[in-house]
Amino acid sequence: MSELDLTALPRPVKQPWQVRNPRNTWLVAAASVLPMLLSVLITVVANIDATLATILVFLPLQIIASVGVGQYIFGKKGRGDAILVIFTIFFSTLVGVLLVSVMFSVVVDGLRAMSPQFFGQNNHYISSTTSLEYGGVGHAILGTLLIVGLTTLFTIPLGILIAIYLTETRGRMRSTVRTLVQAISGLPSVVSGLFIYAFLIAPSFSSHGLTQQAGWVGSVALFPLMLPTVARIAEEALRLVPQELRNGAYALGAPAFKAFWQVTLPAAKSGLITAALLGVARIIGETAPLILTTAPSNDTNLNPFVGQIATLPTYLYGYINQVQATSQQRAWGAALVILILVFVLFTLARVLGSAKSTKAKKRK
Amino acid sequence: MSDIQDVTAEVPARRQLRTKPFSLADRLFYGITKSASSISVILVVAILLFLLSQSFSTFQTQGFDFITGSQWNNAKGHEVFQIGPMLWGSVLISILGIIGGVPMAIAAAYFIEFMAPKSVAKVATVLVDLLAAMPSIVIGLWGLYVLTPVVAHWGSLLYGLHHVGIGPVSFDIPLFAMSDGSDPSTFGGSPFIAGWIVAVMIVPIITSVTREIFSQMDRDLINSALALGGSRSSVFMRVILPTASGGVTGGVLLGLGRALGETVAIFYVLNLVSDINWFNILQSKGGSVASLVLQKFGEGTPNEIKALMAAGLVLFVLTLLVNWLAAVIVNRAQPWRKL
Repeated sequence: MSELDLTALPRPVKQPWQVRNPRNTWLVAAASVLPMLLSVLITVVANIDATLATILVFLPLQIIASVGVGQYIFGKKGRGDAILVIFTIFFSTLVGVLLVSVMFSVVVDGLRAMSPQFFGQNNHYISSTTSLEYGGVGHAILGTLLIVGLTTLFTIPLGILIAIYLTETRGRMRSTVRTLVQAISGLPSVVSGLFIYAFLIAPSFSSHGLTQQAGWVGSVALFPLMLPTVARIAEEALRLVPQELRNGAYALGAPAFKAFWQVTLPAAKSGLITAALLGVARIIGETAPLILTTAPSNDTNLNPFVGQIATLPTYLYGYINQVQATSQQRAWGAALVILILVFVLFTLARVLGSAKSTKAKKRK
Repeated sequence: MSDIQDVTAEVPARRQLRTKPFSLADRLFYGITKSASSISVILVVAILLFLLSQSFSTFQTQGFDFITGSQWNNAKGHEVFQIGPMLWGSVLISILGIIGGVPMAIAAAYFIEFMAPKSVAKVATVLVDLLAAMPSIVIGLWGLYVLTPVVAHWGSLLYGLHHVGIGPVSFDIPLFAMSDGSDPSTFGGSPFIAGWIVAVMIVPIITSVTREIFSQMDRDLINSALALGGSRSSVFMRVILPTASGGVTGGVLLGLGRALGETVAIFYVLNLVSDINWFNILQSKGGSVASLVLQKFGEGTPNEIKALMAAGLVLFVLTLLVNWLAAVIVNRAQPWRKL
């Protein structure tokens, strides 16, 4: 009777499905790199146009290589997968390239116009040929802050109230309001400007209109564009508050108003701040409504209720199509300032929003 | 005996159960939120009313030709305002934008949700959101100076396809041809370029809607399809796409609504011509209702401005319909959003 061998088998280092054949890894690596190298070589040697080469040389080569490798490793299954992966990566890369191109060109071209006086000075003595050492967007920054600030003052309370109606009450109009808010979120910005022009400036009901073009009219024109953004993000934020918290407050005898004020609102505070910030980011670069409802100016105007006022988007709009190089530089500079503002608002919203999500995780 | 009486005396009166708010604060709370949300209804009605009151005379004088005709003349006594080419131009550019943008958006959503490692997906999501927050005038500036030369080059390559022939067999592709022998040397100002810019504008919207639909999909469904021997591609084609098709359609419609109303991003890029351009997408001749408003508004005569109001009204009704449909479809596809 031979003795039983009771020593344990070596434990597998990896799960069986995690074991990879190193030869396959090399094949995949080769299929990812070789077609690109080969097509670059063909393009250079045959002197083909780069766009044509991408579509007519690189893509077919890449598809053939990947489908071949997929077929070799996984059989029939591998072929479809290879094509799916290639198209996904190709189109995703295209999106990435477009995005990076936008940011890169705005930052690089905008930086050439940057200087302390570009932020500080206004446009009073500036002609289209004045060198970049003089003049700037100071007046436009102030105008944008005033107009957007005014819009924010009355839009954020209203947007949050709509969100409260959608989440905290059992009102009958909820689904209608929700659908309408979503539908308004696609309102063309130029229509918003036309509407406010028809409402306040055009002679609608009497022989003359209610007012002339002014900063506050622009603020009102931005309202329909900002409202749906604030309402929708605030709605999401309020919905993240667990229903148990509200029920607990009600069970303790709190009326709906107190339950909201003392329980739901503090829990959703950071989310609501995010909603406000993203709402501001949504309208800070809006151009068309301001073109229709405000009169551009080269001077600093701190009174949004009377007279001409400059804003960053209308400043950019005025310089975008000029032939002079310095004017185009100013346009890029203004674009960079807008981008910086959007970026700052966005980062703030992200930081405050992530604070919210960690809290939510802890609660779970 | 007296003990029992004392106990009953301490029992408070039976509280009345009510489903409606009865304290003043609560009634105020509900009343204020309700009236605030009625603003969304008032807003839509007010836009319709004010634009209609301004543009009524235009519709009266121009009749139905306002939408179908293709003349624009603001000279006194010869006033003709017709937006046919602009309306068709908006639609054509939107179709081109959808054709360019949808594959990019779905691929990006699939990449973020199912392929990329978590850290990459996070960064990509933030980047897509940032692109969504990019003001359209910045995109317009970039489109004019950076994208136009590139896409014009693509256009010149496509122009090579307008007459394809090998030996005796040859045929024309009118899509890439130039009508009435106009100059084929420049490719700027064409609907093709505007379509690409619109594609850039709508990719983030479609991506974020699609990504959300993908992320909320039942993972068990995907895992069981994989366990049955499905591959990535068959799971995508037969499980993910059919399940998500409603939401993706809604996202595409939302993008279409944006594309129809896009104003300043394509204003400088497109060559507005008041003559209908059906399908010659490479020709430097196009239209867009929103751009028309911007172009004519500054020096418009009173009647012309009323005609622009009418154009705005047409655009508003069109986008409202598309967006409404999109909102309904997206809401139906996202039942978890309904509380």
